Amino acid sequence: MAPSEIAPSAAPPVARLIEAFHRLPGIGPKSAQRLTYHLIRMPQEEAEEFSAAILGIKEKVVLCNTCANIAESEECAICGDLQRDGTRICVVEEPLDVVAVERARVYSGKYHVLHGVISPVNGIGPNDLKLRELLERLRDGSVTEVIVATNPNLEGEATAMYIQQLIGPLGVKVTRLARGLPSGSDIEYADDSTLAHALESRAEIPQRQSDSPE
Amino acid sequence: MTSKRRPVTYTTDGVVVRTSNLGEADRIITLITPVHGIVRGVAKAARKPGSKVGGHLDLLKHVSVSVRETRTLHGLSQASTLNGFRGLRDDLDRFSRASYISEMSERFSVENGANQPLFRLLLDTLESLEVTTNPEMIIHFFEMRLLQLSGFSPELSRCVETGVDLEPANHLYSADRGGLVNSDARPVGESALLPASLNTIKLLRFLSRTDIAQAGVMKAGEDENRQLSRILRAQIHHVLDRGLRSEAFMDEVRTRPSHNDEPKASSGSSSGN
Ligand SMILES: [Zn+2]
Repeated sequence: MAPSEIAPSAAPPVARLIEAFHRLPGIGPKSAQRLTYHLIRMPQEEAEEFSAAILGIKEKVVLCNTCANIAESEECAICGDLQRDGTRICVVEEPLDVVAVERARVYSGKYHVLHGVISPVNGIGPNDLKLRELLERLRDGSVTEVIVATNPNLEGEATAMYIQQLIGPLGVKVTRLARGLPSGSDIEYADDSTLAHALESRAEIPQRQSDSPE
Repeated sequence: MTSKRRPVTYTTDGVVVRTSNLGEADRIITLITPVHGIVRGVAKAARKPGSKVGGHLDLLKHVSVSVRETRTLHGLSQASTLNGFRGLRDDLDRFSRASYISEMSERFSVENGANQPLFRLLLDTLESLEVTTNPEMIIHFFEMRLLQLSGFSPELSRCVETGVDLEPANHLYSADRGGLVNSDARPVGESALLPASLNTIKLLRFLSRTDIAQAGVMKAGEDENRQLSRILRAQIHHVLDRGLRSEAFMDEVRTRPSHNDEPKASSGSSSGN
């Protein structure tokens, strides 16, 4: 088994936790070890609270019926907020991107989470994304603008183009974040002012072409 | 005296054919290179806005990159773009076809296996796809040449069943046997024979000995294009033992009658897996 590779000398329960941490994104073997030994010193009730929190997200978190963002119930806090502008929808790849756009504090519309991008070489096509759900939201005509905030890389741009071709003909304005976000970088890591500027100076996607930043 | 532990570092050019996220902000990049075959490596912090390499190491770019070899994933740094293939990036049809080309190139490549002809073919095909008005034939040319380069040249002059020279007429194609079958010599129990009209056979022969520039100006009718597609794909599937994931999206983009129809009701995965 794998634990021996990462923590060869640790006792089995310790090695098992190190291994579990190591599987998380961004956690190398050293960090996994450090976190594990931190937990060993943690008081019993704190450790119980920690493990209950982990189980809690598996039991209680669901996807919003409307925007597919992570929610506590069938409707997420943003969709349920009547103060927000219901005429605009910002389309993002992942739930974390909602957090990033919210952090920029310039956007007051709603969101739609695709849960991925079109990736032909991985066999991920339009039908694997939450696109039909997006179309459903446009049916009653109350949405006038869809802002596509997929990542500035080839698959993100292709997905933006696809969305433009899909919903442009419905008479909904489809815009894309302005250049300025460095290509190849993830929106998740964009600093707030760059993202705010990219949102404010977004531009309509032309019919056949996307503005792929170089 | 050189220490055995010192990692080997080299600079190569290559085409990025696959990317995936690793950890918090790293990216795993797969390149096809002329001398080192498939190279997989990590571009550290490539997803951070300040990254010097992230913008270059994107899919379907011809790049120059520095590779530091390790036992597992190599380290990638100092990337620069040699050709960004803009024409493939702002058009869904060209993008979908280029994805198919790059996936196929990857599947026919091996790690550490120099394959300059394949690399050259990949570059030439991407360059042609950027500007061509005849993408179907460019794809067929690529499929044919890739089969030839890999030692799976389709037999187009003699019947693979009987060995006799084929008369100029409509015949059949067997991917299992790797070539044309005389229309009279239908082997018993073989169900997967594909129709190959006289015109299709002429086009197959043309593709087997032409260059990409000539292929780009050869027009074929709809029926011939469909037969060429079926035959060449069947042959590739037979060689690879399965289909290609990017076929589904390419076919979808190509067959969409206009761009205002909705995605079909999802019925399972669209991947060829
Ligand atoms: Zn919601």
